[in-house]
Amino acid sequence: MKVRESMDDLLNELKKDPNIVNWHTVPGRSATSVPFPGAMDARLRKALISRGVDSLYSHQADAFETVMRGKDVVLVTPTASGKTLCYNLPVLQTILTDPACRALYFFPTKALAQDQKNEMEELINEIGAPLKSYTYDGDTSGTIRQTIRRAGQIVMTNPDMLHSSILPHHTKWVSLFENLKFVVIDELHVYRGVFGSHVANVIRRLERICNYYGSHPQFICTSATISNPREHAEALTGRRMTLIDRNGAPSVRKHFLFYNPPVVNKQLNVREDEMLAVKNIAARFLKNDIQTIVFARSKLKVELLVSHLQEINSGREERAKICAYRGGYLPLERRRIERGLRNGEIMGVVSTNALELGVDIGQLRVCIMTGYPGNMASVWQQAGRAGRRSGDAMIIMVASSNPLDQYMAGHPDYFFSRKPEEVRINPDNLMILMDHIKCSAYELPFPKGETFGGLPADDLCQFLADEDVLHYQTGKWYWMNDSFPANEISLRSAVQDSFAIVDVTDQGHTKVIGEMDRFGAMTMLYEDAIYIHQGVQYHVDQLDLEQRKAYIRRVNVNYYTDSDLAVQMDVLEKDEEAPLTGLDADKCYGDVSVRALPTVFKKIRFETLENIGWGHIHLPEMEMHTNAAWITFSEKWTDRFGKDVFQGALVGLSHLLRHAAPLYVMCDQSDLSVVPKIKSPHNEKPSVFIYDKYPGGIGLSKKLYESMPELLEKVREMAESCGCESGCPSCIGFVNEGKAAKQALLHILGDYSSCR
Amino acid sequence: MSLKQKLQLYKQQLHQAQKIERQEYDEEVTENEIAEGLEIRQAARDLHAEIFPFHDEYVLVHTERIGLRTLIGHYTPEELFTVVEDWQRGSSSHPLSAYGLKAEELLFFDTETTGLAAGAGEMIFLIGLARVTGEGVELKQYFLPGPGHEAAFYHAFLNDSRSLKNLVTFNGKAFDWPRVKTRYQFVRNQVPRLPAFGHFDLLHASRRLWKERLDSVKLQTVEKEILSTGRTEDVPGKMAPFLYFQFLKHPQASHVAGIIEHNREDVLSLIALYIHLSKKVLGRIDCDPAEQYEIARWYQQIGDKERAFHLFQALADLKDNYGYLSKARLAEIYKREGHYTHALTLMQSAISGKAEPDDSLYIEAAKIMEHQFKKYEEAIEYTQHAIDYLQEKTGDKDERAGQKTRAYLKRLNRLDQKLLKEMER
Repeated sequence: MKVRESMDDLLNELKKDPNIVNWHTVPGRSATSVPFPGAMDARLRKALISRGVDSLYSHQADAFETVMRGKDVVLVTPTASGKTLCYNLPVLQTILTDPACRALYFFPTKALAQDQKNEMEELINEIGAPLKSYTYDGDTSGTIRQTIRRAGQIVMTNPDMLHSSILPHHTKWVSLFENLKFVVIDELHVYRGVFGSHVANVIRRLERICNYYGSHPQFICTSATISNPREHAEALTGRRMTLIDRNGAPSVRKHFLFYNPPVVNKQLNVREDEMLAVKNIAARFLKNDIQTIVFARSKLKVELLVSHLQEINSGREERAKICAYRGGYLPLERRRIERGLRNGEIMGVVSTNALELGVDIGQLRVCIMTGYPGNMASVWQQAGRAGRRSGDAMIIMVASSNPLDQYMAGHPDYFFSRKPEEVRINPDNLMILMDHIKCSAYELPFPKGETFGGLPADDLCQFLADEDVLHYQTGKWYWMNDSFPANEISLRSAVQDSFAIVDVTDQGHTKVIGEMDRFGAMTMLYEDAIYIHQGVQYHVDQLDLEQRKAYIRRVNVNYYTDSDLAVQMDVLEKDEEAPLTGLDADKCYGDVSVRALPTVFKKIRFETLENIGWGHIHLPEMEMHTNAAWITFSEKWTDRFGKDVFQGALVGLSHLLRHAAPLYVMCDQSDLSVVPKIKSPHNEKPSVFIYDKYPGGIGLSKKLYESMPELLEKVREMAESCGCESGCPSCIGFVNEGKAAKQALLHILGDYSSCR
Repeated sequence: MSLKQKLQLYKQQLHQAQKIERQEYDEEVTENEIAEGLEIRQAARDLHAEIFPFHDEYVLVHTERIGLRTLIGHYTPEELFTVVEDWQRGSSSHPLSAYGLKAEELLFFDTETTGLAAGAGEMIFLIGLARVTGEGVELKQYFLPGPGHEAAFYHAFLNDSRSLKNLVTFNGKAFDWPRVKTRYQFVRNQVPRLPAFGHFDLLHASRRLWKERLDSVKLQTVEKEILSTGRTEDVPGKMAPFLYFQFLKHPQASHVAGIIEHNREDVLSLIALYIHLSKKVLGRIDCDPAEQYEIARWYQQIGDKERAFHLFQALADLKDNYGYLSKARLAEIYKREGHYTHALTLMQSAISGKAEPDDSLYIEAAKIMEHQFKKYEEAIEYTQHAIDYLQEKTGDKDERAGQKTRAYLKRLNRLDQKLLKEMER
């Protein structure tokens, strides 16, 4: 019989581990409670009391009173702080007073809406009043839909459903829109970047329709910790917001550990692969039946980790105790995993940030992060997954060798005192705006002179009229086309169409096992790629661009594949320009054209990460126009250091910028790209471009243009604090002429720094 | 960058994103509303339509009277009177029944729309409406001259039609009527209330009778294959949106004349089809076994056992599949009434009369043996036949068959138990 170690044993072991570079304990906090507000309906009080709630946390009471005063509200709430009551209480209070009132909730995922509906239903049962709340999503059956439209007082849905089903059919929802009192938007911080910009436009459409039916709903939003919750909520909803961010909820004591894997190659300053470290640490907990969640930053890493971790267990049943959870899985599979985690059948889960959201999986004991998740909001959301009601929670962040991780590992004070990032959206992105003008015109004709989100819509409507999509008559633009615009527009992916992933292993029984956006498909599902799904390897036989299908076949090989992109940059228009004092360089901002072509892929062996082969990728070039911030250097630097060295320095700078940028603006790594050009075609000068990876831009590079001096300062610190001599993954990466390049870069940035 | 500049810059990309095929034009689109007014007036003349103004909007209405003896396929509108009269003596609850109605109360109704989706962005631009009176078929077609004239359009239509309780449509329940309701929401403050709606959906009826023999049960197919009317120069209905968009850009009658004619023929076909279907259901013209069986089933489903019984009985002597099926249905009716011996005899006759009786009949027989006559051995035998049939027919792959097999095995076990108990006694 194997001897099990307890959580305490494991903690003590870890305390002795030399690779734990920081041990930070976040003390627990007791609750700040206040009595029920005087105005609260007696039925509501009774219901709460019988559920064992006899007072409110201070922020819940704040929210109740502020909403009841008629304000639009944004709440900042950490995980497990009882945010649901913040919006459910004022909504229920209002509906109890006037049953004709309606509320529309939307959540970023179907799963969240389901969870919330169950919770709402329990509360309603306790109240004993005939209140009706429903979820409305793609799975809702036709007959129930009619009931919901007619009589649903609280409708819980997601922005996609609002976009493609509810708004385009608003005439079927007259009683909802005529009586809409509240719009609840949960997990506001998720609506950022492209997705957020789309959602902001969906809300503009919602407002137009409410206006048509004569309602003016209040907005109640909740968000994880970000630095600009009010600004973001206002950008998203177009309303003035009242911020509530005083948290009165208690929390347990949390141990926050940094684990920095040992250096395995002194010359190159290469550390042990963080995946290996994560695997070993997670295995220690899992072997002792301690429920553990592991976060990884990419789908690929999730799959790799799962297949490694499943090796701990040999039996088939045992292997099923450890599973992966990420986008691209079908809903049923996800539900099964969520249930398994709650009831303890599943011991370990490896997830992308998909499980950051409030999906109900109960609370686990241990949370392991594979590298810094990219933003502080994610750090705290992920950390919030650990911590049962009793007993300390354990959070371990395993640093990878990327510069930001190493910087964080070396500067824990900076980490723990860090302000959360800003969230940016750009609802006025022309591509996105145009999509939603179409949808909105489909829903209601645009009278001449009408504005959309504050922008005059006439020019846009005229453009669409010229395209034969709208028709102008008697002062209005009418939809006049036989397509259904919302079907062609997806809120979620950068490129509008998604690819089905078809498993053809068994020719008789091919099945769709997931889907992926176009960009993802072209970088992960090119022919001969090895695609990993639920820990199983597949070979991509064919990528059909026309039919948008990838045909894959189960294989068992000891390598994975990684693709390279060739990128061309052209400046279309420079909107802003300013010198970077002391650097002999200018920062610029404007419109650029990016042409990207997947060229080759490498085959990389699992254990050793060595390159064991390569192949061509035969796919067409993708072109897009977008916004970029760029630094243009004086040619004197090229002359001074020589072309090769300076090129190395630029590549190194790009490497660092890519990693440091998310410190200033909240985005996924895939939202931004950094491209160095020793001779940029637009002015023949050395330049480094940072661009938004979405047509028309989503506001990220604008923010980075504004913060460029701070960003460069951070880059310098990162390069300087790295101990290596000639470049390593933790600073400038491996570049030609590494030693000279690093010195050159430090020199350039150092000069700059001393001048500021 | 200004919005205008941006539009210019992104034009190509936006254009690609629209992904909507365009038609090229040489002429300039005229914005001049006076000229447009003149053009519309000319179009109205060419379409033999009157212009009815309503506030600052207007609608084009084409009115026509068609003689009662005009042939539509094999029928004349006059026969509607006979059919409606026959219904007075027929079933009052049948979905096609005109019991209690006069022929002129039936409103034959069809629309053309700007798209097939059913959201807030599609419009109805043409409504065709016909009723048969002593003087002839009174046909009215309401044509929407542009999207800004919907109040005039619905005002005219709703004023003329008043009651919409007896609409006769082809797929009106799922297609036309929801769209009328949607559009009504946009003009509800300016036009008469939308009256209660009831109707005869001939798609439903046609599907019942002819879904086996027609590839697709569309009005045009039914016309061609069943009514033998056929059209000479028809504009396909799916061209309607495109032609209408053309008209909006260049209001000339030639763009929409074809689609208006299409709608006219649709409405007239509805009259012939209603007559034809009623005659079949009422037994006034010959039915083949397939039709008669479906008509009998229809009666059975609406609870008219007597009519169903007679029709099934007439089919029961046939040696083909319809004979077999009818026996099974008759047995079902007997069983419901408590005539178990009759039911069983019919089942046995059906089973022995057919090469391959299916599992459901065996199981029905097994049920009667088990529950009514307590003959477990026979019940076991029938159940075993049902299982064998499934095994042979479907193999293991079919999931539904698998479910059934499991249920049958359960039944078999239970019967074994019962039999055992009985033998112990």
